[in-house]
Amino acid sequence: MISGLIIYSRCDVAVIQLLTYLQNVYKIHEDISMMKVLIIEDEISLQVSIQKYLTAEGSTCDCASTFDSAYQKLSIYNYDCILLDLTLPDGEGLQLLKYLKKLNKTDGVLIISARDAIDQRIEGLQLGADDYLVKPFHLSELNARINAIVRRRNFAGNNIVVFQEIEIDLNARQVKVNDTVLYLTRKEFDILLYFVANKGKVISKAAAATHIWGDDADMADSFDFIYTHIKNMRKKLTDAGCHDYFHSVYGVGYKFSLT
Amino acid sequence: MKLFSSYNRILLVISFAGLFIIGVLFYKTLAYYLDRQIDDGLVEELMEVQDFTHEKNILPAPSYYKDLVVEYKNIIKVLNKSSFADTVYYNPKKKQLEPARYLKTDISLNDKAYQVLIMYSKAHRNEEIRSICLVIIIPFLFLLLVLFWVNKVLIHKLWAPFRQLLVNIKVFNLNHDQSFEPVSTQIQEFKELSNAIEDLSFKVRSDYKEIKLFTENASHEMLTPLAVINSKLDTMLQSARLGPEESETLSDLYKATSRLTKLNQSLLLLVKIDNNLMMDTEEVAVMDMIKEKQAFFQELIHKRNLRIELHLDPVYLIVSRQLFDILINNLFSNAIRHNYEGGLINIKLTETSLSFSNTGKSGLLKEEMIFERFFKDPASDGTGLGLAILKQICSRQQYQLSYHYENQLHIFKVKFNKN
Repeated sequence: MISGLIIYSRCDVAVIQLLTYLQNVYKIHEDISMMKVLIIEDEISLQVSIQKYLTAEGSTCDCASTFDSAYQKLSIYNYDCILLDLTLPDGEGLQLLKYLKKLNKTDGVLIISARDAIDQRIEGLQLGADDYLVKPFHLSELNARINAIVRRRNFAGNNIVVFQEIEIDLNARQVKVNDTVLYLTRKEFDILLYFVANKGKVISKAAAATHIWGDDADMADSFDFIYTHIKNMRKKLTDAGCHDYFHSVYGVGYKFSLT
Repeated sequence: MKLFSSYNRILLVISFAGLFIIGVLFYKTLAYYLDRQIDDGLVEELMEVQDFTHEKNILPAPSYYKDLVVEYKNIIKVLNKSSFADTVYYNPKKKQLEPARYLKTDISLNDKAYQVLIMYSKAHRNEEIRSICLVIIIPFLFLLLVLFWVNKVLIHKLWAPFRQLLVNIKVFNLNHDQSFEPVSTQIQEFKELSNAIEDLSFKVRSDYKEIKLFTENASHEMLTPLAVINSKLDTMLQSARLGPEESETLSDLYKATSRLTKLNQSLLLLVKIDNNLMMDTEEVAVMDMIKEKQAFFQELIHKRNLRIELHLDPVYLIVSRQLFDILINNLFSNAIRHNYEGGLINIKLTETSLSFSNTGKSGLLKEEMIFERFFKDPASDGTGLGLAILKQICSRQQYQLSYHYENQLHIFKVKFNKN
């Protein structure tokens, strides 16, 4: 049984190594929706949700629920982004971060942790983590953050996100539709980018509100403001000749997609 | 009344009562003995007169000395009775009335009865009593004075550890990480008191710490399940089979989860403030921060048609930016949340204080209640922790937070502690 597992995992290792190699050769991961992500999270149900959400977009997800398995995977493979929970049953997540640095790997790291102690957040970022997301979070928020990390790492300098006729320049914080510049407010820009990052997914109003106003948001009211912001932005986009990609989902949220 | 005054009052009453009683007894005894002495002198004088009459068979001539008077009077019958008594007589030598003591007795001479009156002045004796009393009372009063002073000094010194103990108890504050400072003293009772209070403070501190730790752990343990709920809701939302009914349920679940998350974060924030985790201070431009917050809340302000009046001085404070941000955030959201449509918010910032005044649906609120955790307007959908957090931040920064109601405005005022 055990030897079978080892053989199986060795086969697995070989296949993934081959895939990684191919990825590097053909630069498949230039399309950021085809990311390779490692989820280090001991809460299995959360791990499963994250995996489901990310793979639906075409990303490949590896999972590790213990310090040891994470350690092994980190040693062997390269990832575009690593989701790291700091409190693992058999070890401290920050140690993995130190180990990663020792290996001189450039994988993007997003810490997801229930511990919001500021010191820990700073320590994590100092150790080379790219971002820090505090539990509980929305999967759309997680996805947007992963996208941002991968984009930063892979497309340094040229930071333009394109969706059909919409072109979002992240550095200039400018949106163009068919080469016409749109004037969006800061919040509208953030919402648009958030929806584009989660294209094809339904985003709840709660997730959008938290993205814009953070935890300070006055929840009951902010839901209505999301509606107002999206209404205004839709008008600006369609006025510029853009197809309307926003679809309302029974008052619970919105979907940004072709159909 | 202070212990010393109370002690002194008792001491004084007892001393003077004692002095009075002793004085009276002393005087009486002394007077009695001196009178006996005078009486002896009078009897001796009488014996001399009797000897004289026996020997010479005549009465001695009445004599009027300085202090002694001897007189004779004819009487009908010898009653063989002699008596001592006090009287007042005119002293011809001194030309004044003096108290005196006399002995009256009858003697017979040649079958004739005579009454002999021997009188002795008490002036001398009174003077004696006066000087004896003075000699005793003056040192006694002096002694009392010295005793009074010694007591004062001694009590002050003896009770010094007690006063120090009081000061230390007053300084002891659970919210500031200041432990109770025991007092070192040689006096057993104070030592025991100090130890008992120290034990008590340890117990209180450890219990308080335990409660904080419990809150912190409980809140932290809730975060992962919350994350699971959130992620499952997000997953369900992607389902293609979502109908209007399911969507409504999901929407309500999202709202409830958001609220629970907010509540949890508020609790964690309270613990963090308690644990002094946010003490990295820097210079904060308060005026700019308020303007940023105004922009942050602009949708809420517009939606409710609130009028904002700003009276801001350019003020800089050395403070934790994060804490101060929360402080202004909570003041702002409180003023917006409990306002009515078309109401007013007045923000005033000076070098010494920051005040938020707002119109509101309710009248005067109870100051001691509104800063309590989970106290809230039943109609409000807030966590009921906003003002409690505000209070906690102010107490940490040693700012004074006050509430009052004036001209139909609820006024929350934060007085800065600049040092």
